[in-house]
Amino acid sequence: MKEVYSNFMRSLLSSEFTISGEIDPPKDANRTAVEEQVRHLKEHVVAANVTDNPIGDVIMNTLAPCVIMQELGLEAIYQATCRDRNRIALQSDIIGAAALGIKNVLALTGDHPKMGNHPQAKPVFDLDSVLLTQVLRRLREGENMAGEKLEHPPKIHIGVGLSPGVEPLEPEIIKLEKKIEAGAEFVQTQCIYDEKVLERLKEATSHLDVPILPGIAPLRSVGMAKFMLANVPGISIPEEMMKKLESSSNLTETAIDIAAELISAVKDYGFPGVHIMPVGMDKYVGEMIARSGVR
Amino acid sequence: MIITRQKPMEEIVEMLSPYRGVALVGCGGCVAFYQTGGAKQTKEMAEKLREAGVSVVALGIANRQCYLCEEREVAGLSDAERIRKVARELEGFSELENAEAVLSLACGVGVQNLANILDIPVLPAQNTLFMGRRRVEGDFDLEQCVGCGDCILAFTGGICPVTRCAKSLMNGPCGGVFNGMCEVSKSRVVEHAVPCAWIEIYNKLKKQGRVDELRRIRPPKDFTKAANMRKVAWGVQK
Repeated sequence: MKEVYSNFMRSLLSSEFTISGEIDPPKDANRTAVEEQVRHLKEHVVAANVTDNPIGDVIMNTLAPCVIMQELGLEAIYQATCRDRNRIALQSDIIGAAALGIKNVLALTGDHPKMGNHPQAKPVFDLDSVLLTQVLRRLREGENMAGEKLEHPPKIHIGVGLSPGVEPLEPEIIKLEKKIEAGAEFVQTQCIYDEKVLERLKEATSHLDVPILPGIAPLRSVGMAKFMLANVPGISIPEEMMKKLESSSNLTETAIDIAAELISAVKDYGFPGVHIMPVGMDKYVGEMIARSGVR
Repeated sequence: MIITRQKPMEEIVEMLSPYRGVALVGCGGCVAFYQTGGAKQTKEMAEKLREAGVSVVALGIANRQCYLCEEREVAGLSDAERIRKVARELEGFSELENAEAVLSLACGVGVQNLANILDIPVLPAQNTLFMGRRRVEGDFDLEQCVGCGDCILAFTGGICPVTRCAKSLMNGPCGGVFNGMCEVSKSRVVEHAVPCAWIEIYNKLKKQGRVDELRRIRPPKDFTKAANMRKVAWGVQK
């Protein structure tokens, strides 16, 4: 019997539809900004991710919001990327996070620093997401990368990312298979707007025995949709969805509706849950879920 | 080969300003092949420097500045005699005694080798970029090897991810690949669009029927093999 450390993993192993959320740490030391997002999500999701300086912009680190979140009663999924930390720092951070009660870690490659507001920074990428996954499992099994035994290993569950819309898909799936071999226990994907991508994801991963939570993010405007199409790899947005946004008289309502439809589609395709990235609409996550009818 | 770019003339002129007489030494290696520091470019450099008021007293070209000679072979010689020993005359070698500094048109390796055997200052005319090849179909050169000390080309279709993947990933493409291009292509600080090395590797391996090479988890890179200040001991295998 698999040992279970987190509510999130318990939910994934049950028959219930698992919903994870995500909070965006502020760029300053504003604790209230974290608390507010946690309050908005707490009743609606079983756990929430904390991002690790996405695109390399400097914001509050991952650990602080994770700890604040858990103090407020919402379980954290700690996102760890390979961009800024070598194997020493990554292991050290995870051991420390586990000591502070973190039970879920999402292992990601991380965006290149050239994408963010500190493009001059030296990229690290000592490990990649497959190798980080392997290292996390090894730590949990009681050994660090130097082979030293750990009397108190970090009791964490390990998740990984996936970009289901990229072309060609085969190398992405091969990499996912390697992540699973390395120890990945759950998958959260890049955001999906197109049911065709959900279908493709379902087909391409049918041979894999690991819970996959497709990523959903509300589309707040036509501008945002166009930005996503131009800048986020593997994104496709159906024409009908664009038309809804274009003709909307109340963008908040439309965004909630679109998100609800997507959440509902995720369930219809038989996925065990969904990962909601509110991108500023954390206040409306409860409404998105309610309208989706998945509960 | 070693890819270089000539430094801006203003920078070279400024660098040479403290010296009353300057000798130029080109190189017959990579910089000659890529036309940044061969005999022709050395002559052109002399012309440009003279126009800018620099006193160029002599020009020569070494066969390869990456290999000149051992220090003991030039022991007891003057700097002018040493230059005559390692370089072929292009112009004015009788004036070499008047050189207070040398401008080397070789890569960073050549500059250092020349500096190693001369007492007067040896200054670089080039910025040395990387080991790679001139891209035939494009307008830029391509870095191909970072000298990591642990070659993995055998299982990556002859395409180096350590060099050509912006993140030096070992186990396949990241989620940033956008229409076959690396995510850094979208960065405002990157001048050229860069293809994703891992998609190139995948395509090559697919063509060779070797996609299974991608299925094996490749271990973390051992950076003890790629530390700075490397020295390789001849005949000694640790």
